[in-house]
Amino acid sequence: MILSETSRRWALAMPAVVTIMLFSILPLGVVLFYSFLSPGDFGNVKWILSADGWFSVLFERDIFDDTLMVSDAHLTILGRSVGLSFATTLITLVFGLPTAWFIATRPAAQRGFWLFLITIPFWTNLLVRTIAVQEMIRSEGVFNRVLMALGIIHEPLQMMFTNFAVLLGMAYVFLPLMVLPVYAAIEKFDFRLTEASYDLYASRFYCLRRVIFPLVRPGIIAGSILVFVPALGAYVTPRIMGGGKSMMLGNLIDMQFGQGRNWPLGAALAITLTILVLVALIWYTRLTSGRTERNHG
Amino acid sequence: MLDIREISKRFGYGNGVVTALHDVSFSIAEGEFFTLLGPSGCGKTTLLRLIAGFSAPSGGALVLDGKDIAGMPPNRRPVNTVFQNYALFPHMTVAQNVAFALEAQGRRREEVVPAVDEMLKLVQLVQLKDRKSSELSGGQQQRVALARALVARPRILLLDEPLSALDMKLRKEMQIELKRLQRETGLTFIFVTHDQEEALTMSDRIAVMSGGRVQQIASPRELYDRPANHFVAGFIGESNFLAVQANGGAVSIGTATVTLAGARDGPLTVMIRPEHVTLGTSLPDALNLTATVTQLVFFGTDTHVHLRLPDGTALVARIQNALHGGRSFNEGEAIAVALPAEALRITAKAEEQA
Amino acid sequence: MAEHGFDVKRLPGAAVLAVTTFIILYIPMVILVSYSFNSGKVIGNWEGFSLTWYGAALQNAAFLDAAINSLILATSASVISTLMATMAAIATTRAAKFRGESTIHIILNQPLMVPEIVLAIALLIIIGQIKQATGYTGLGFLIAAHTTFCIPFAYLPIRARLEGMDLSLETAATDLYATRFYTFRRVTLPLLAPGIMAGFMLAFVISLDDVVMSDFLKSPGQETLPTYLMGELRRNLTSEIYAISSLLLLISVLIVAGSWVATRKKN
Repeated sequence: MILSETSRRWALAMPAVVTIMLFSILPLGVVLFYSFLSPGDFGNVKWILSADGWFSVLFERDIFDDTLMVSDAHLTILGRSVGLSFATTLITLVFGLPTAWFIATRPAAQRGFWLFLITIPFWTNLLVRTIAVQEMIRSEGVFNRVLMALGIIHEPLQMMFTNFAVLLGMAYVFLPLMVLPVYAAIEKFDFRLTEASYDLYASRFYCLRRVIFPLVRPGIIAGSILVFVPALGAYVTPRIMGGGKSMMLGNLIDMQFGQGRNWPLGAALAITLTILVLVALIWYTRLTSGRTERNHG
Repeated sequence: MLDIREISKRFGYGNGVVTALHDVSFSIAEGEFFTLLGPSGCGKTTLLRLIAGFSAPSGGALVLDGKDIAGMPPNRRPVNTVFQNYALFPHMTVAQNVAFALEAQGRRREEVVPAVDEMLKLVQLVQLKDRKSSELSGGQQQRVALARALVARPRILLLDEPLSALDMKLRKEMQIELKRLQRETGLTFIFVTHDQEEALTMSDRIAVMSGGRVQQIASPRELYDRPANHFVAGFIGESNFLAVQANGGAVSIGTATVTLAGARDGPLTVMIRPEHVTLGTSLPDALNLTATVTQLVFFGTDTHVHLRLPDGTALVARIQNALHGGRSFNEGEAIAVALPAEALRITAKAEEQA
Repeated sequence: MAEHGFDVKRLPGAAVLAVTTFIILYIPMVILVSYSFNSGKVIGNWEGFSLTWYGAALQNAAFLDAAINSLILATSASVISTLMATMAAIATTRAAKFRGESTIHIILNQPLMVPEIVLAIALLIIIGQIKQATGYTGLGFLIAAHTTFCIPFAYLPIRARLEGMDLSLETAATDLYATRFYTFRRVTLPLLAPGIMAGFMLAFVISLDDVVMSDFLKSPGQETLPTYLMGELRRNLTSEIYAISSLLLLISVLIVAGSWVATRKKN
């Protein structure tokens, strides 16, 4: 059987493409469809079209007099999700950039060791790492025990199930995601340029600002997206660190398919989350396509 | 204004120590076009980097305008460098590259813009000022690197083999350019190269280096006419070396003898430049020998006549191709060769020089 | 006199922050592992080194079931997804642009662009219907789901390897009268092997570590290691959790070390 080149290539790619279409793309369409249905009595849906799902994303009706109000709870969760994701990105930047710099500037013989050290957390189960963080800050956790043993406090600090706990957890588990792309960018950087800049009277900070940073920027942006997007859609870490008190969008979605029994709302929330992520990704693509240094002075 | 005093540089430690510079000392005057010349590994680049500040000496002092700068970081030294690979900032335009040194020093816009324009005019790149530096040709990049290093009027401009990446024609043009720039700005240039021809055409003085030591410092003429030792004689220009016997102020090869001042008794090596080897006749006050023509090589302006002496020593003579007259030689022919005493130079065999 | 001169690669403060970061990264994991060796019942009160918790875990039927499920799941998903990804990589790499290539590329990367929870509920809906209709509650659903999101993870390293490969080797083979398939089998495949291996290991780890998808799609009584772990977290906080966590940690370390050694050898 003689196939054209194009047909042959399509045929080879078919299994992967079909699998993904069936189990990833098609289901998304189903979700979109479900967001326009009505909630069933015991979960699942009734086959009646309704805009309530989308409506309930941001609004709710007062149970007594049926007036429209903005859903504080939902708004808080949405705000928390976006806000904590930004905050997580910032924290991972603060700790991740120097780490990436450090690894990239080690002599070649040592570099493998440090890379190995940063890769292990990267491959370790998210759940395991979240459990490890949780152990540090829960009431009977390491932090509290040490502080109490030193006599600094007399009662354990309640740190779990707060925004702080979720932020800490996410920063901890997503940190390696920031380090690796930034490391890759610094590793490709031509250090003779820094030599030139110091030769031309630049201070270390000036060199960092005008030579190093602009050329390493693509890696920093990549790392930021690699942290922001998973943070936005995080589920496991907020569930364990935030419990029911500090929920993020992922947990809110989960609730609708559990005790909330509102599948259309869950579907609508899921689509909302997907749109937010897509916006972030599009913004990223814009940022990385051909930016030049703007004129100085 | 730059005193290099017994500078030494060692890399490594214990048994793996490599000495790149052995107690190098000399001075450079203001406004000089000074060249460090030598083969790779001779220490010239190491010395340059020491002056620039990227490396610290293992011993000795670097005194600029009376101050020891050895402890000063490179961004405080009034010394700028043109790098071999130019190291232009790829994300900046030509103008931004050139402005860098001034902006890094915090100069204000009103100062920076005219200085940059003036510099661009000097290197003839005004029309490219807003082009990205990564979009330029090799020659253009080179000129940007120059402008960038000159704009802050450094006390010394260091040039690290800046012309090695250019093709022949461009190289020759840039040599003239550089010389012109140095004259116009009046700044002190320290130029590093392994190309002796380049050094000869551009420099006021040249320091010939080998094995981490300075072999000789002199003007191009002086180096050519009176090389201090075997290495310099062989490195600069073309040379013929002959083994002779000295006795009582005269040197001889076989039966040929001539008086030569400064000849210590015993075996010696003498050097003579190809253009001083006279053919077809014998001269007074010269070593008069007979040699066989082994090869004739045509060079356009001259012809190189390759000869062999009876004892097997090879000689090369250079004769200009005149329009009229002039003798022609044939391969295999035996001819008279005269080596005038005043053209003979005694060169020590060893490279170590006091 | 400063012997070392001016280090252009130095940024003040970077080293301190970096080392601090490494310490912060590792302390929680080290503590977690140390807890797993604690012989005492109360977490945090060190009572002596012991392997009791590991023993307890290994005798726990629920844990063993979950472990076996995870293993079957990870193996099937990684094998199937690597196979599909290899075919897809060959189809889309080193070709002159053909119609639909970028579409295929987007489709193949799509699972990475959508948050996992969204995919999880999407599949929950569909699989819920299928379960109702057929009554099948086996591992099949999970295998399908895992395979799907493993494909892009296997695809990327294989594609990278393929793009870096020297085309002239295959041209030489064809020049020597090899058929297309023979060339593939004897030249392309062996050279591609490290990439396929990397893709396979990546897919394996991703599947093994998966929490969200497995949690949503599993049937009652069906657990994978991570879902079991998460369930135990809410039920009872015993040191058995730490033993299991440490085991998972060990697997990750082994896999990373393994691939490290493998890539060293290649180079």
